[in-house]
Amino acid sequence: MGRRGVEDELRVLTVCGVGMGSCLILRMTAEEVFTRLGLRARVTATDVSSAHGMPADILIGQEMHTGEFEGRVPVVISVANFLDKDEMQRKLVAAMEAAGWLAA
Amino acid sequence: MARCVAAEAAVSARIGVAAPDWRAAIRAACRPLVERGAFERRYEDRCVGIVEEQGPYIVLAPGIALAHARPEDGVSRLGLGAAVLEVPVTFGHPDNDPVDVVLVFGSPDADSHLGLLSALARALLGGLADRLREARSGTEASRLLEGVVSDGR
Repeated sequence: MGRRGVEDELRVLTVCGVGMGSCLILRMTAEEVFTRLGLRARVTATDVSSAHGMPADILIGQEMHTGEFEGRVPVVISVANFLDKDEMQRKLVAAMEAAGWLAA
Repeated sequence: MARCVAAEAAVSARIGVAAPDWRAAIRAACRPLVERGAFERRYEDRCVGIVEEQGPYIVLAPGIALAHARPEDGVSRLGLGAAVLEVPVTFGHPDNDPVDVVLVFGSPDADSHLGLLSALARALLGGLADRLREARSGTEASRLLEGVVSDGR
């Protein structure tokens, strides 16, 4: 799980409890944010337990789900409002800068 | 073909719903789809049960919840419902309470809802919840959901 250049396609997981509702909404929002940022990303929506077995560079979900992925996925962000592209973009950029993937 | 899919999807929105708590609100959103035979009664129970077990993660934005259970929990055909509440309820979500728009969907298999959910995401990003809140009748609100279903075909 080494450092990954942002020129590579990012493997992104959006997670929720069942894996067929909220995380699909979150995926749409995430795809728009990555497009805005000009980053290539393959975003997969899944449930929390399946996510544990999937390789990922970035994981996005609600705070109640993301805690268990800290330290397992390099960049983990928690979003409160799944429809707020600005909130997600702000948190994503800050976390990717902190990981050294984007220049601060 | 596409017409068939649209005809098979059940849609129902209710406005001015009086629900004393979040459980009643989820049931209110499900009930018309149960009455139409799209969902079995036990689907309602599972929509509530999943929140009891996993927490209020279905509250995905301020004021908006998206309830659902799994295909094996009693879904006969694709359904999309909404209950706009007279008085908002709390789900216990740290950021997005209180909730006054409760959406529900059910899918008969693992794939049938994918187009619908993409369309629903687009609609929500475009302000669907406010348009549901402003609807003057259940018919008008249902028409908004029908628009989502046809966009998701």
